[in-house]
Amino acid sequence: MSYEPPVTDYDYIVENCTCAFCGCNCDDLDFLVKDNHVVAVRHACRLGASKVMEDLDQRLMVPMVRNEEGVLTETDWDTALDTAAEYIANSIRPVFYGWSETSTECMKEGLELGEYIGAVLDNQATICHGPSLQAMQNAGYPIQTLGEVKNRADVVVYSGSNAMNSHPRHLARWAVYPRGYFRQRGRFDRTVVTMDPKFSDTAKCSDMWIGFEQNGDYGFYNAIRAVIKGKKLQSESVSGIPAEDIYELVDVMKNAEFGVLFFGLGLTHTLGKQRNIDIAIKMVQDLNAMSKWGLTPMRGHFNVNGFNIFMAFETGWAFGVDFCRGWGRYMLGETNTIDLLVRKEPDCFMVVAADPGAHFPNGANQHLADIPVIQVDIHWGPSTELADVVLPGSFISVECAGTSYRMDGVPIYMKKAIDKPETCRDDEWIIRELKERVMKLREETNVAEKYVPNPIMDLKRLEKEE
Amino acid sequence: MKTITFNQIKTSSIALEFDEVIPDNIYTWDNSDFDAYQVPIGNSRFPITDFFDIVIEGEAESPAEVKMVLNGDYGRVKYIGCKMSAGEIIVNGNADLHAGAEMSGGKVTVHGNVEAHAGREMSGGKLEIMGNTKEFCGASYIGEWRGMTGGEIIVHGNAGKQCGECLTGGSIHVLGDCDILAGIHMTKGVIEIDGNVNRWPGGQMKNGNIIIHGKVGRLLEGFVEQGIVTDPEVQGKVYPGKYIEYKGDIALNGKGALYIDAEKNRDRLSTWIEEDDEYNAIRVYREQ
Repeated sequence: MSYEPPVTDYDYIVENCTCAFCGCNCDDLDFLVKDNHVVAVRHACRLGASKVMEDLDQRLMVPMVRNEEGVLTETDWDTALDTAAEYIANSIRPVFYGWSETSTECMKEGLELGEYIGAVLDNQATICHGPSLQAMQNAGYPIQTLGEVKNRADVVVYSGSNAMNSHPRHLARWAVYPRGYFRQRGRFDRTVVTMDPKFSDTAKCSDMWIGFEQNGDYGFYNAIRAVIKGKKLQSESVSGIPAEDIYELVDVMKNAEFGVLFFGLGLTHTLGKQRNIDIAIKMVQDLNAMSKWGLTPMRGHFNVNGFNIFMAFETGWAFGVDFCRGWGRYMLGETNTIDLLVRKEPDCFMVVAADPGAHFPNGANQHLADIPVIQVDIHWGPSTELADVVLPGSFISVECAGTSYRMDGVPIYMKKAIDKPETCRDDEWIIRELKERVMKLREETNVAEKYVPNPIMDLKRLEKEE
Repeated sequence: MKTITFNQIKTSSIALEFDEVIPDNIYTWDNSDFDAYQVPIGNSRFPITDFFDIVIEGEAESPAEVKMVLNGDYGRVKYIGCKMSAGEIIVNGNADLHAGAEMSGGKVTVHGNVEAHAGREMSGGKLEIMGNTKEFCGASYIGEWRGMTGGEIIVHGNAGKQCGECLTGGSIHVLGDCDILAGIHMTKGVIEIDGNVNRWPGGQMKNGNIIIHGKVGRLLEGFVEQGIVTDPEVQGKVYPGKYIEYKGDIALNGKGALYIDAEKNRDRLSTWIEEDDEYNAIRVYREQ
């Protein structure tokens, strides 16, 4: 890394801004602003700083609609919103996907639109921490805040997560290096364990590296639980880890004063999926009999947890909620975006602050190419190439204020630092406009009333209810 | 006896939902009712006669006297026989998600493959699948710890991952192979698998019985060998042959029983010595 001289050419500093990159939501950033543009960021990691500073790179500035020749052409806001509203109003199986890089205020409008039209609302959890959420429904959620980790934790376990690369300030600000109230010596007071098949950058700065084999997570955690219960292991090694190492690891875990398990996609997306998290949660519950333990999923986007908390609060399900029959439904493999797309069900797809073009499997993207796609985003990406209507939004925490939820569920208000480009609009405004326009159109098309098929049966049902 | 035959005219890429078209609801229906009925598709409803040519024969006094015959490809028809309590449904083709889910009586037979969640939260009746089925056969609703509580599921083909998840009663018989974590979290009931299981049968099971006649790939550490049993009797039924009995999952003090075929899994036995091993042969020779 070469030396970069500090930036001195700026107009003013905006203090205590929030980073809009990963689930750490670092809220101690200083933005150095010159000519209504952030020229430098203090305290942020490289990922967060570059996202804030390069926000005008490949920026979507003007609303666009794909014309008959298949070329995206610039247009005015009214035309673009009307076209998008028409697509949504005429759809039978709409899916509204994304929401993780926008504010909770915007989700509120989206949920109202989704309930009105009978859509599926889903977010990036469906391709990242969805299994964690399913396991939490089954096994519980022994969570602690990151502040507790900083002040109390003496054993920190990263499982299937390479925080050094994906959440760079997680170690520095919360889990490993900081000096806390009960951990005055910082790093020297903590034991760091990394469970990862790969010798990752996080493993390099850990005290213990457990390199179990790929897809062996479930068997490995089961063995740990058996050892915690006082059982002697039958085989010499489990999932490629010698039995002695497992005894040693369990010893460290049992003798922790305050332990925390951070898990990432390495655990949620290997063989076993939600059952890996399920058994990890049960392991933490077992450990709580002899020590104090908690766990936190390493959420990727800054507000992916916000959508899950918001939806769980409003509807009872964290993600993949289907309103097509008029009431909320949620079922694995039925109301999740990828399954719906692979089954070629949706006939209208709205992407709000997400990039399915870059992240979805090929089979799912093939169907996206066949159906109308509405994109509400700030940057040009693979999804823009698939989109039929492009609505440029604004950058939450830089150009627009909003609420987001950190990975441990703490809500953080992200304040505005600079003005947005004149031709862009706030995400919240866009979704509210769409909702109002769809409601106008849908009244005219007159949805079919629910037919009562069997009056006799319904009478019986009424009698039963009485 | 009333026979209602659905002959498919066209398919839909968006799934139809048949949770209202079950014997409990339609035993009094005649042609005019079907003409007026609209089937849910996505956020709208469309006339069912657009998709099916419906033929009604006979009369019925109760749902038990109804036999529904579904001809065609039902790969995009969800909730077939969902919440039914009596009658019979025969599907001559594939079926989509939730076939026979939450049924409390009657019989559903599918002469084809079935998608995931077949027989979810069943409490009675019989579901027979002639082909394969996918994940979560006889499972619970996500987050619920009580899955299938009664009834019988017979799968003539293979079953997918987490078959019989949270099983709380009833029996599942898979004649083919089974994928990972069969009977995970189960607390009661019987799962019988004739084929092979690749990994981790009975993960975190509390109670209940799993009988595997094929080869088991990988077993969890939470299962403790109890020795060889001959002709074990499980819930009043005798399974002939020699089995290795395991108790588990002791990671959560479970008392479940796992029987795996002794002949095919002899290498699992703690007393096992490979007979054609050359070192072993030398040792036996020297002892002579």
